[in-house]
Amino acid sequence: MDFSIDSEQKALRDAVRELASRHAPQHGQGDAPVGPATHDADTWSALAEVGALGLPYPEDAGGFGASAVEVAVVASELGRAGVLTAYAESLVAGSLLAQAGHELLGDLTEGSALVVPALAEPGRAWSLASSSVQAEDSTLTGRKGPVPYADAASHVIVPATEDGALALYLVESPTVENGHVVLDSTKATRLLDASATAGALAQAVNLGTVALCAEALGTMDAATTMTVEYLKTRKQFGVPLMTFQTLTQRAADMYVSLELARSTVQFAAMAIADNPEDSATVSRTKVVTGQSGRHIGQEAIQLHGGIGMTAEYAVGHLTTRLTAIERTYGDTRQHLAALAAGLSDHGQVDVLA
Amino acid sequence: MQRRLSPDDAAFQQRMRTYFTTEFPADLRERWSAGGEPDPEVIRAAQRRLHEDGLAVPHWPAEYGGQDWTMLQRHIYLQEMQAASVPPPLAFNANMVGPVIAAFGSQEQKDRFLPPTASLDIWWCQGFSEPDAGSDLASLRTTAVKDGDEWVVNGQKTWTTLGQHADWIFALVRTDPDAPKKQMGISFLLIEMSSPGVTVRPIQLIDGGHEVNEVFFDNVRVPADQLVGEENKGWDYAKFLLGNERVGVAPVGSIKRRLAEAKEWAGTVSTDDGTLLDDPLLAARIAELECQVLALELTVLRVAANSREGKPDPASSILKLRGSQLQQDVLELVVDIAGPAGLRWDDTSWEGLAAPTYLNFRKASIYGGSNEVQRQVISSGILGLRG
Ligand SMILES: Cc1cc2nc3c(=O)[nH]c(=O)nc-3n(C[C@H](O)[C@H](O)[C@H](O)COP(=O)(O)OP(=O)(O)OC[C@H]3O[C@@H](n4cnc5c(N)ncnc54)[C@H](O)[C@@H]3O)c2cc1C
Repeated sequence: MDFSIDSEQKALRDAVRELASRHAPQHGQGDAPVGPATHDADTWSALAEVGALGLPYPEDAGGFGASAVEVAVVASELGRAGVLTAYAESLVAGSLLAQAGHELLGDLTEGSALVVPALAEPGRAWSLASSSVQAEDSTLTGRKGPVPYADAASHVIVPATEDGALALYLVESPTVENGHVVLDSTKATRLLDASATAGALAQAVNLGTVALCAEALGTMDAATTMTVEYLKTRKQFGVPLMTFQTLTQRAADMYVSLELARSTVQFAAMAIADNPEDSATVSRTKVVTGQSGRHIGQEAIQLHGGIGMTAEYAVGHLTTRLTAIERTYGDTRQHLAALAAGLSDHGQVDVLA
Repeated sequence: MQRRLSPDDAAFQQRMRTYFTTEFPADLRERWSAGGEPDPEVIRAAQRRLHEDGLAVPHWPAEYGGQDWTMLQRHIYLQEMQAASVPPPLAFNANMVGPVIAAFGSQEQKDRFLPPTASLDIWWCQGFSEPDAGSDLASLRTTAVKDGDEWVVNGQKTWTTLGQHADWIFALVRTDPDAPKKQMGISFLLIEMSSPGVTVRPIQLIDGGHEVNEVFFDNVRVPADQLVGEENKGWDYAKFLLGNERVGVAPVGSIKRRLAEAKEWAGTVSTDDGTLLDDPLLAARIAELECQVLALELTVLRVAANSREGKPDPASSILKLRGSQLQQDVLELVVDIAGPAGLRWDDTSWEGLAAPTYLNFRKASIYGGSNEVQRQVISSGILGLRG
């Protein structure tokens, strides 16, 4: 086991760091966009240009034959700069297209097609096990949502119920209302049938979840760094805030959370590269990242005081993003429940194998 | 000790419940409970109505609209008001400047300001914090210099909540820069927001709303009779304002209502085998929060009975600390219940409001004395730990 990255991976990191700083949101006096992001075509084509969109897929399927490790390197840099994109969504979709051997993957990796998965459903908790969308004669009927980036997507991938089991469909130019994909006898192409769908979805969402956790890691890193800097520079009572041990000890706790997340996320990227079906590791990583992200996000605002609450300053936006990531692709509770159901499968959790 | 409400208090509770749930306008309650950025018209209409019915400022002196209630009755009143999602009287008026003017103002100031303050015909905002004077409030730099029978004010306030709707601001200003301690050179000044030289800039928060502002003073001339109490005694009045309350410090009624709503909402979110309310992990978290809120409410009741009226009271720090934490915990629970639906923000559905509301209420552990400051008050003021 080796946590260090090689020179090629460093070059990728540097390239993405540079592009992320160019496309990072600008904060200053006045209003700024808050909350969920909208798709930014410029950032997206810059990511396509450095090859970030095709990293983990085999070359014969139209990808670049790298792995989840490279994906994590990219996602961390986006998170650090606070650049919000459809990267995780595109990875879930790309993995499904690759597993289905579909040619659209080429357009996805070039950035000419934006493909996102339509997985959530109104009024329903997160679940990959079922879908209320019905498939019949290559048409779909039902509603999925909210689907992040659906309004900018050229295609969506929809799990649908067909003869009582789940199958996966591709829909071109979806109809989108308020962020929800509306299907009404909509023509669709079947990507995978019932025998392959559950396994393919699990693998694809594992990859997307590792990307999200890596993004969260970069976000936490930025939030911790900003908070440490602030404690050094902000003065109250005639002294820098770092004079107050109650605050420096809490910064130390943030750093502990950050480093625990870093180890876990880097391990998960290696584990998924090794075995894309390792959902237990992904769930453990989502739990660790969720808890670290919650801790760091909340403390970053608190230790900044009022300035941390404003849209004119970056740190609150980082907390906003960490809040969203924790509820994407299953929240901490759901991943804990999944792990709880598998406790008797093992005596100890082995990482050295 | 006595477990039950006395017959009188039980009757009082029933009277409050009936009033808030049947007599107070239902449309105002609905618009308030929908959440999102507060609508000033709803706040105005609600306080006007409460005032007409004698319920806007019950803790004030009787001659200005107060009721001669016990601490327990005041708690019951707040509890029932929050349970019914009645928009509360504006804190800046009812709990801050009103009690200060009533306690320290001249007779002319009382007669001039207290009636419109109770009815919200004057909307007040609080001008204490400055960019470099947050937790260290006493280092504030906005100055007021005497010129004939006027004060000339220069400087900047910030984080001024709802200042964009305000008619008046009560501000702490430095009137004696040479005082031996910086707390000793501060005065409490009432300034009309429409005065020449006052400008307001709204600040956007991370939920997208604009509830706080920067307020700038550029040679603003303020009549001398708008200084409350004695010159250079403003710090004492500010301490009185920030620390004299035990009742109402922790929004227990609002927390309990939101927790009850969270349970209802969890019951409407389907899972693969039931609803979220059937999920043992989520249910355990709700049950745990109910225990924690119970302990807080009982502590409010227990310490309210021992209130030392009018004196800064370290016990109120327990309530502010724990009240803000539990309020934040319950709002975080709602984000989890909203799940994927909360990833889209909109200002009409509870799911769409869940994340912005949670993020907005990170403020609760920062304003009104941060939780670090509250712990400081507990450790030094109650435990005598002065390092
Ligand atoms: C939404 C919102 C609304 C507000 N509304 C108003 C209003 O209407 N009127 C008004 O006057 N003010 C208002 N405030 C201001 C509020 O009172 C201040 O934000 C608060 O006093 C903290 O000051 P600060 O933001 O400058 O943070 P700082 O004082 O810079 O504190 C930064 C961090 O350091 C901690 N800290 C500071 N000093 C110490 C110490 N000695 N020991 C340990 N920890 C310390 C703080 O707890 C905090 O975690 C509002 C603030 C917010 C966020």
